[in-house]
Amino acid sequence: MKSTKPSAIIADIVKYVVLIAGALFTLLPFVWMVLSSLKSANEIVQIPPTMIPRKFMFSNYAEAWQEAPFPRYFLNTVFIATVTTVGVLLTSILSAFAFSRLDFPGKKIIFSLFMATLMIPGEMLLITNFITITKLKWIDTYKAMIVPWLANVFYTYLLTQFFSSVPEALYLAAKVDKCSDLKFLFKIMVPMNKNAITTVAILSFIGSWNSFLWPLLVTNSTNMRVLSHGLVRFQSEAGTKYQLVMAASCILVVPIIIVYLFLRKYILEGMSYTGVKG
Amino acid sequence: MKMKRIMALVMASIMGASLLTACGGSGGSTETTTAAAAAAGSEKDIQPTTITFWHGMNNKQEQSLTELTEKFNAENEYGITVELVNQGSYSDLQTKLMANAAADTLPDIAQAYNNYFTDYVDKVVALDDFVKNDYPDWDDILESYRTENSEYGKITGVPFNKSTYLFFYNKTMFDELGLEAPKTWDDLQHIGEVILEKKGLAAIGYDSMCDMLEAALRQHGEQYVDETGALFNTDGGLETLEFIMNMYNSGYARLVGEDNYFSDSLSNGMIGGYVGSSTGVSYISTDIEGKEFELGVCPVVGDKTNAAYNAGTNIVMFAKDANNQKAAWEYMKFMTSKESTIKWAMDTGYLPIRTSAYESDEYKAFMEGDITAQAAYEQAPYGFVSKASFTGSNEIRNVVSTTLNELITDKADAQTALDTLVAAVNDVLK
Repeated sequence: MKSTKPSAIIADIVKYVVLIAGALFTLLPFVWMVLSSLKSANEIVQIPPTMIPRKFMFSNYAEAWQEAPFPRYFLNTVFIATVTTVGVLLTSILSAFAFSRLDFPGKKIIFSLFMATLMIPGEMLLITNFITITKLKWIDTYKAMIVPWLANVFYTYLLTQFFSSVPEALYLAAKVDKCSDLKFLFKIMVPMNKNAITTVAILSFIGSWNSFLWPLLVTNSTNMRVLSHGLVRFQSEAGTKYQLVMAASCILVVPIIIVYLFLRKYILEGMSYTGVKG
Repeated sequence: MKMKRIMALVMASIMGASLLTACGGSGGSTETTTAAAAAAGSEKDIQPTTITFWHGMNNKQEQSLTELTEKFNAENEYGITVELVNQGSYSDLQTKLMANAAADTLPDIAQAYNNYFTDYVDKVVALDDFVKNDYPDWDDILESYRTENSEYGKITGVPFNKSTYLFFYNKTMFDELGLEAPKTWDDLQHIGEVILEKKGLAAIGYDSMCDMLEAALRQHGEQYVDETGALFNTDGGLETLEFIMNMYNSGYARLVGEDNYFSDSLSNGMIGGYVGSSTGVSYISTDIEGKEFELGVCPVVGDKTNAAYNAGTNIVMFAKDANNQKAAWEYMKFMTSKESTIKWAMDTGYLPIRTSAYESDEYKAFMEGDITAQAAYEQAPYGFVSKASFTGSNEIRNVVSTTLNELITDKADAQTALDTLVAAVNDVLK
C-alpha cells in the first residue's frame, strides 16, 4: 500500500482531475464526430447545437457507405501510404548517412542544392510534375502516386542533423572493429536515432494519408482513388452534408484504431526511445 | 480557406507552366478545332468510339447524369459510348482541367465555367459550325445561356446544369410582421427596418458578395468590370454603393461569416431571408424542432431593371480527333434536348435550359409544386453571368469579395467603399 497521508491523497485527486479533464478535452472532437454522425440533416445545422442526437440516424452510415467504394479507397490509401513511407525512410536514412558521415567530392554543394529545393513551394511543382507523369504514361497508376514522394529533402535534412550529433568516436570505433558503413548505419546509427526516424515515418504516413490534390490529379478511374476523395463527395456548390461526412469519417477511423491497438507498443516505444545509451 | 490558397498557388504555377508549353502546345490545336467542325453536319459518318466526359456531379445529380448517359449509350445509332469520370467538386475539376491543359491531355468533353479556361481558350473546340449545321433550334435555348457561351467570340459550350440566385425568406416571419415578398430596393429597406426593429435580426444576406455587387450595379443600370478595369466609378455606381452600405451599416443586412452559406441561418430563424443559389434550397431545413417555418421564394429584387446572377456550368468540348468531335456533339445535342433537360431539371432541381422545356406540360406540372422553380422561371429573362473572358477575371472575383467584406466590417461610407473597390479592381488588371 502507498502512503495514505492526507496531503498525498489531495495531490493524487488534483492530479487525476487534471488528467481526466485533459483526456476528455482531447476526446471531445472524436466524441463530437461520433454524435454528429448520428444526427439528422435538420439537427446537425441547428443552432445552438445539441450534444446528444434526439433521434439516432443510423441510416446516415448506410447512406455514406453507398456514396463511394470506401473499401477500395481504403486499400489504395493504406497501400500508397505504406509503400511511400517505407521508401522515403530508406532514401532519407541512406542520404542522411552520406551527408553526415561520408566524405565525397562536392558534398557541400550537393547538400546546398538539396536545401535550396526546400525554398520552392510544392504547389509550384505541381504542374511540371504532372506533365512529367503524363509523358511517362503513368496516369491512373499507383506509381504516379508513390514515386514522386519517395525522396524528401526535409526528412533527409532532419535525419542528417540527428546523425551528425552521434559522436564521431562511435563511427571510428566501429571502423576499427572492421564494421562496414552499411552495417554501422543499420546496427548503430538507426537504432540510436529510432525516435527521429519514427517521427519521420509518422509524418510521412500522415502526409500520404491526407494527400488529396496530387492523387486526384493523376487518377481518373474510381478504382485508383483514395479516401480523401470519398469524403469530398458530400459537398456540393451549395452546401455540405455534414452528417454524412461525419458518418464516413467514423467508418474510416475504425481500421486506424484497430491498427493502433495492435501496434501501440511499438509506436509508443518509438516515440519515447531516447537513444543515447551508448 | 485552405483550399482557396492552394488554388491560388496552382493558378500562379500554371501561368509559369503554360509559358513553358506555349510553343509546343497551342499552335497545333487551333487548326484541328476548326477543320473538323466544318465537316460536321453535311453527312454523318461517325465511327463507333468512346467519349470521356469529366464532371463534378455528386449524389442525386450524378445519378441522374448516369441515367441520361446510359440512355444515350444504349440508344444512339453510331455506337458511341460516353464514359463518365467523376472529378470531385467544381474546384477539383477546375484544377484537373488546368493541369491537363498544360500537359495537353484534356478529356473529350467536360463541365466547365467560362472562367475555367480563360488561360487556354484556344484548346476549346469552337462549336459555331456544329450549331449552325446541326442544331435546329438553338434559339430555343434561353438567351442568357447563349450569350454566356458566346462571350469568347466563338461558341465554347452548351448550357448544362444551370441554377440562378433567388431570394429565400422566412414566410412565417414575414406574414407575422405584415411583410410581403420584396419587389424593389425600397421594399428591401422597409423589410430590413421592420425585421430589425421587431425581431432584432438582419433581414437579408448574400451568399456571394461579388455577385451581389455586380447584380446590384446591373439592377441600377450600371456596368461592372471588363478588361479595361472597373466601370462603376460613376454617379450610379455611388448610388448603388450608398444602397448597399446603408443596408449593412444599418444592420438590415449582414455577412455570412464562417457558415459560408446562409441556409443554416435561415433554417434556425436567425435571418429574415437571403439571396443564394436555387440549388441550395435542399440545404434549408424548415422543420427544426421549435423553429418550424414556411419557406418563401421570390426572384431577386430589381431596381431600374432586373438582373439575376446565373450559376452552373456548361459542357465544353476539347476533343482533337474529328470523329470524337462529331460523336461528342451527338451527346451534347442529346443532353440539351428538350426531353433530357426536363428530366434533368426534375431529378436535380437545376433549371431547364430551353424555353420549350419550361412551357412543356410535364415541367409546368412539376413547377406547380415547386416554388423555387416558379421563381427561377419568373426571372429567367434577367439572367446574367460575370464576364470571364479576360485574364484577371478570376482574381477580381476574390478581390471584390474580400474588399467588400472588409469595407462592411469597417462600416465604411459609400464614397470610401466605391473608391476602395475601384482601386482594388484596377490594381488586379494593372
